[in-house]
Amino acid sequence: MAVFDTPQEAFGALRPFCVQLTRVQTLENVALLQAHLAAVSASALQELQEYVLFPLRFALKVPGPKQERLVQSVVQCIASVLAATCVKKQELLQELFSELCTCLSPPSGSSKPASQSEELKLAVIQALHTLMHSAYGDIVLSLYQPSTLPLLGFAVSLLLGLAEKEKAKQIKISALKCLQVLVLQCDCQEHRHLDEDEAQRCGDLFASFLPGISITLSRVITGDIKQGHKPTVSAIRLFYLIVGLVMADAQLARIPKIPKNKEKLPVEQSRISELMVHRGPDWTKSTAEKLSLLLHKMVEFSSVHPHWKVRLELVELVNHLLRNCSRSLVDSFSHLLKALVGLVNDENSEIQSRCNEVLQGIAEQGIVAQNRALADVLSENLHSLSTALPRLMNSQDDMGKVATLSLLLGYLKLLGPKINTVLNSVSHLHRLSKALIQVLELDLTDVKIVEDRRWDCESAYGPSGSLQHGVQAGRCQKKYFRFFTEERVFQLLQQICRVLGYYGNLYLLVDHFMGLYSESGMYRKQAAMVLNELIVGAAGVGVDVLQEREVSLNMDDLKGSITSILDEYTDQANWYLITSIDSEEISHEQSAQHSGLLARPGGGCSNVLLPSLEPHVTTRTMNSNIWQICIQLEGVGCFAAVLGKEFRLLLLSALYPVLEKAGDKTLLISETALGTLVDICEACSYDSVQRLINENSDYLVNGISLNLRHLAHQPHASQVLDTMLRHSDASLLPLVEDVIQDVLSALDLSYNNQAFTFLRVLHSVMTALVQWFGSSCGEEHQQRQTAERQSRTLSPGQQVVTSQEVERFFLDYVRQKQIAEGNLPDTEDEETDEVPPLAKPEPNNSDTEGGTPLPSHAQLAKDVMERCIHLMSDGSLRVRLKVLDVLELCVTVLHPHGNHLLPMAHRVWPALVTRLISDDPLAVLRAFKVLCTLAQKCGDFLRQRFSKDVLPKLTSSLLSQAPASARAGPVYNHTLAFKLQLAVLQGLGSLCEKLDMGESDLNKVADACLIYLSAKQPMKLQEAAQSVFLHLMHVDPDSTWLLLNEVCCPHQYEPPHASLQPVKLSGMGRQRNEFTDNVLLLLERLQQQESPTPKAGTQEPSPP
Amino acid sequence: MALPPPDPQFVLRGTGAPVHALRFSCGQEPAVPVLFSGSENGFIHVWNLKTRRVDTALDGHGRKSVYCVETMGGKDSLLSQGRDQRICLWDLAEGRTAVTDSIFTENVGFCKCSLVKVAQGRWLMAMAAKALQEVQVLELPSKTSVCTLKPEAGAKLGMPMCLKLWQPNCGSQPLLLAGYEDGSVVLWNLSTGKALSQLVCHQEPVMSLDFDSEKARGISGSSEKVLSIWSLNEQQNLQVYKTHELVNAGISDVTIRPDKKILATAGWDHRIRIFGWKKLTPLAVLDYHSATAQCLAFSDHRRPPERLLAAGSKDHRISVWSIYAQT
Repeated sequence: MAVFDTPQEAFGALRPFCVQLTRVQTLENVALLQAHLAAVSASALQELQEYVLFPLRFALKVPGPKQERLVQSVVQCIASVLAATCVKKQELLQELFSELCTCLSPPSGSSKPASQSEELKLAVIQALHTLMHSAYGDIVLSLYQPSTLPLLGFAVSLLLGLAEKEKAKQIKISALKCLQVLVLQCDCQEHRHLDEDEAQRCGDLFASFLPGISITLSRVITGDIKQGHKPTVSAIRLFYLIVGLVMADAQLARIPKIPKNKEKLPVEQSRISELMVHRGPDWTKSTAEKLSLLLHKMVEFSSVHPHWKVRLELVELVNHLLRNCSRSLVDSFSHLLKALVGLVNDENSEIQSRCNEVLQGIAEQGIVAQNRALADVLSENLHSLSTALPRLMNSQDDMGKVATLSLLLGYLKLLGPKINTVLNSVSHLHRLSKALIQVLELDLTDVKIVEDRRWDCESAYGPSGSLQHGVQAGRCQKKYFRFFTEERVFQLLQQICRVLGYYGNLYLLVDHFMGLYSESGMYRKQAAMVLNELIVGAAGVGVDVLQEREVSLNMDDLKGSITSILDEYTDQANWYLITSIDSEEISHEQSAQHSGLLARPGGGCSNVLLPSLEPHVTTRTMNSNIWQICIQLEGVGCFAAVLGKEFRLLLLSALYPVLEKAGDKTLLISETALGTLVDICEACSYDSVQRLINENSDYLVNGISLNLRHLAHQPHASQVLDTMLRHSDASLLPLVEDVIQDVLSALDLSYNNQAFTFLRVLHSVMTALVQWFGSSCGEEHQQRQTAERQSRTLSPGQQVVTSQEVERFFLDYVRQKQIAEGNLPDTEDEETDEVPPLAKPEPNNSDTEGGTPLPSHAQLAKDVMERCIHLMSDGSLRVRLKVLDVLELCVTVLHPHGNHLLPMAHRVWPALVTRLISDDPLAVLRAFKVLCTLAQKCGDFLRQRFSKDVLPKLTSSLLSQAPASARAGPVYNHTLAFKLQLAVLQGLGSLCEKLDMGESDLNKVADACLIYLSAKQPMKLQEAAQSVFLHLMHVDPDSTWLLLNEVCCPHQYEPPHASLQPVKLSGMGRQRNEFTDNVLLLLERLQQQESPTPKAGTQEPSPP
Repeated sequence: MALPPPDPQFVLRGTGAPVHALRFSCGQEPAVPVLFSGSENGFIHVWNLKTRRVDTALDGHGRKSVYCVETMGGKDSLLSQGRDQRICLWDLAEGRTAVTDSIFTENVGFCKCSLVKVAQGRWLMAMAAKALQEVQVLELPSKTSVCTLKPEAGAKLGMPMCLKLWQPNCGSQPLLLAGYEDGSVVLWNLSTGKALSQLVCHQEPVMSLDFDSEKARGISGSSEKVLSIWSLNEQQNLQVYKTHELVNAGISDVTIRPDKKILATAGWDHRIRIFGWKKLTPLAVLDYHSATAQCLAFSDHRRPPERLLAAGSKDHRISVWSIYAQT
């Protein structure tokens, strides 16, 4: 609504009110003027500026007490004029400045702070603020002359007083803002940029105020938190701006050493010159010291300030000072950097990112790299921190640890390439490494680690599944540390090591930590962890740094370091550790170490430190050993990841030890090793572990074959072979055939003491063969099984006959009928359909052509079976049991090659009979299993022998033992005789079924078992006997029914027609006796089994 | 107490057939050290001793057994002899695998040819000729016949079994030592084509011989249980110097290490035996193979500690031993 655009019009409009005001100074008049000012355009007002200001200034100058409200409105009015115009005259500026300041000065004489109203104070401060902004161009600089120093000083102290003492937040903030403008550091962009000289002059001037300002501000900053964050933020801002200006390195560098003044100065100026400060070296030094104290206090206070903006402003403070005063304030940086680095982990993400930005900026500009003093400060901080680290780790909670460690990490990152100067100092390196080693100490109390064993060597044999499982479990295996539980702490430690590796001299670091590794068993695990991370860091993987290192990594150096670490890790003394109390394993490990000593005198020197020489190995030691191996395995994985395809060359030496551990009995170790294998696969770009093993089988086979030559290493070698077989497929066979032969010949040489070890390998070999070639050798077996299952549709649980089954039955029936009629349609097609693509047609015709050479896997099975024959009578039960297991697998593999299997079965028979007749019940049971398999494969070949050699002895022993067991008390259950009876009874039923025994033999079995149905027998034997009869029911339900009914007959059977003879069974009408319960139970089961089929029950027994 | 017998440093597998000939080429430093092996299936495998894997497999003898492999200068130039009655010259430089030249020997035996360098780029090669008892000497690479060595009419030496061409220190014409089927070793003068000396060393065919021209002594092995050491006096006469009794019969290869300090024998008893060359003291029995050891080779590494011994066996494996420390 600027109505008056021209000065004339404006003058006309404003004149009455100015005159009026000049005459009578009242609130109303001021208000009137103010109201009309609004109607004047800025340009017009500019012309009339002094005219309009005159009555207002006059109002202020009128002597005598004044009404505060009047003063306030006058000041506001001045402010509004100034806001619209600019001051173009120096005198006017200075006068206005001093007049405004005077408004707030306390009445002369009294030292008490002016007790004006807060509104007035605020108005004056704002007016001053406006004044400073309305000063035109260079005019404002006229205020900053030595001659105006007193005036300025007055204003500064006035404002500081307000900022400090006032309660009202608004005033505090305005005062601080105003001060900021006053020291020419306003935030707004309107101000002209000062050139160097001007800045220098202002710096000289403000140096006088520095003590006052800094002390007051520090008081404001560290003042009551209740004042809110805004004043604090403004105070911090003002503080660093003024300090950054006065202590600026650039300015101080230009100050001559000796004050150059003492020129001719006017008398009145000489007094002022006393106020002036010369920023010489002495002054700088003492000021820096004082500031350091203040900064320390401020940083301590505000780095934990609850309001994030305060902390953010602190970051800015550090940033500003570091950029401008990195030389002059070098002593303070110890605190400042600490605060900055500490704030990297602030909970507020904005602070975090800003901190990172600042750190990044610092690093990029090479502030640390170029400034030795700063680097010294940092390395000093680092030193003291690493000294205190173990203590802090002991005493702090996890949050505290995170803070401490991020501080350490921050120092290292800031130092960047300068780390090397720190590391070159022995004491620094020593402190740091000891601290890391101490912090990384593992918690070794978990017994589970030792207890968890891998038992799957016998069961659950699924390469892909178990591997997948293993990898997942291995990946997430967490380490437990003695001094912390928080995962973040570990991550920080990892980063610390990586950053060290990234910037540091790799050879120096690796050497040092290798030294620690071999220095004591106490340090070994930690040192290995650090080494792993160092290498990862050195390769620049997963490391978060602020600046690039100066010299990029030399791949050969890295490879050299890795090779030497790898050698140390896989050294016998560090690789073969006792991880279980399995006496067998211990002896292996010890002998391995012993022979290691012999074979490599250099490698064994650290043996002395190992606890293995003690007779008693504590759980703790084993736990520690397990972890050590795991960490070393992880290391191998890291190295592979770092080297990528380059690692392929190292597989020559590294793959064998890893596979060795993959076959370890301790769950944790084997899983970690599997994880390592997966890492290696990824690194060397193999698709799968299987590929890895297959393509490097030559290296592995070489290792196995060489290690098999030493008794002590045989278990390891067999473990490796075991692992290879477990994780590979049939294509591996040609590659390992040669070495399996080695195993066999090694077994021949040392069957008396290593038999079990080798049998384990043979077991896995055979399991693998069954799996790989099972499709061909197990096909018939399966068909037979399905056939059996079909024939047993009567068995409980399968009573529901699906429509598909009915359909199949019908189709089968039709086909059978056609065949019977001499019609043979499409048999060719069907055969080719049934033969799986993998299997050769050999199995079908090998029976007829005796001369064809065996396929290699069958030949192997034959060779293994040969050994089994000899080992079946081994003295140790464990070995015998294993032999029986292996034998069973051999039979399965050899199955399709009948003309080879039968002679072997013939040779196996005598030894097997001995197992069946006179061995430990466990062995008997296992032998039964073998017998069953053998029976399936060989059929009639065995039936005769069984009924001749085995059955009589079994039945007679059962019969003779029955009275004894019937009489015996509960203790009998623990005797060997009982176990034997049980085993025989448990095995006999299924055997009869499998062998498809003749009727007389079945009767023999039934007779022998019948007495065990007596209620006098121990419960378990009764149950076992029941199981025999259940099997017999499958084979010949009718005779079994008859036999049972002879003993006890619950029902009366009425003949359907009178012409038929009445049914007489000897069991009819008998008194209840010891057999009744079991027989009734069995008959009921028989009934159940028969009833679902339509023919059962109604039909009299018909021949099958 | 004696050290336990060492293990092979490593074993090379994958020839897929019995190994009959071995030859190292490790002298040229920046290049990867390699080992050539000739096997019964007619392949010559080039083993990279860094990765311990086959770099290339050369197929030039029509799948007939390769029983002699020699390098001519570096690893880029190779000579191989096979049961297809051919001797092939190979150019292997820059990854090539080409037969540059071949000689049809027309000999049905398995006498390995012998090669000696007489001048830069000029070689003499002795080989069993078509006629049963004869040996022919050719110059390579020109393939011009230098002479044919025929035994006197009445002598029943049988077929030549092994040959060793060598150059006496004085630098005169090379001489040839040949072991024959009847167990005798004959020294031939190539310029006159006449036998200088004949010595019956064995009752059985001479399977292998090696000669040390510095000490003027040679060693031969046959299918018997004995190693025969003979010397050559100034009159160019061969004399029995010593015999050494072995535990098991049958020597298929005898090699004196280039530094003339030790020698190695490959035995039919699957073992490799190491002897001191001076007094023939037994030093070690290297036991690894599960079938006859058929051939031996010492490596030509520049630095002595790196030097290796390789043995090829009928069990398809090549064992590589580091025996420098043990001697």
